[in-house]
Amino acid sequence: MKFLASKKLSDNSVMRSIIIGMLLSLILAMVLSLSAKGIDYGVSPNKWINTVLGNEAEFIDPMSFNDLLFGIHTDLFGLIITFILIASVYARMGRSRVLMMGFLTLSLLSLLAYPIGMLFSSIIGSSGVILSLGGFIVFHLLMIMGGLDSLIGLLRKKF
Amino acid sequence: MNFKILQFVTLAFSTLVILQASLGTLLFTRLVGLTPHDVNLYYGDKSLHGLLEVILPHTLFISIALMAVLHFLAFIQTIDPRTKQKAIYSLFTLFFLDQFSPLLISFGLEFFAVIKIIAFIGFQVALLWVWGMIFRQTLKLIK
Repeated sequence: MKFLASKKLSDNSVMRSIIIGMLLSLILAMVLSLSAKGIDYGVSPNKWINTVLGNEAEFIDPMSFNDLLFGIHTDLFGLIITFILIASVYARMGRSRVLMMGFLTLSLLSLLAYPIGMLFSSIIGSSGVILSLGGFIVFHLLMIMGGLDSLIGLLRKKF
Repeated sequence: MNFKILQFVTLAFSTLVILQASLGTLLFTRLVGLTPHDVNLYYGDKSLHGLLEVILPHTLFISIALMAVLHFLAFIQTIDPRTKQKAIYSLFTLFFLDQFSPLLISFGLEFFAVIKIIAFIGFQVALLWVWGMIFRQTLKLIK
């Protein structure tokens, strides 16, 4: 956001401390979000497929469409806010244009893949769930890496 | 090349926010319904605690989201300030009406079911309008 990107952060110790705290919290939130999803849905593609689409052989019911919608709706909100906050700090870092654009493009693509894969899983089957799982993991890893990169930059007073 | 990527990034982000609003709409339609009778039936049966469980996270998160969305609008110089004011006041007014109508319905004021539906649809339309303006002006600025 503009107020995060308007001043040179290394000159403003208060703003710098606030953003260091925010980045630490967001990185922790991303790790916790990955762990929570791992507990809820499982840690392998098969477990995700079983949770979302069900498995007759193991007597697992598929997730209801309302529960699926509710889960995506709440997840997406937190993830969009996290993206806005981390990307706004990362964009200020002065990394090369290619790297910054790559980061933004990949993050947005993976964040779009997560809900789209889930929503269409009832039509395209397990491929949708795997697309969703891939998007979810890639987005979280990118946010953790972008957050860590910005955090190290801030601690070294690079920007 | 950079223009194409920036165009894509803006489009992808707009798609994400519109997708989120559409998911909310779909969820509302499936859980509550879109007629005053459905709305009265759904919210009339809810306890105050049940209503607060929905209103509290929405109030908290939508206020942050509106701040993030509207701050983009504030920094675009090519949009008339009056249009910006209209967008800001419409979004916040519709948001408050949308969120707090269920409380009034549960207190027996059934007329607010109509207000709730109008405010809910109005909020989605106003949000689309604001994103449309931001997207169009951003593309002009990038060019």
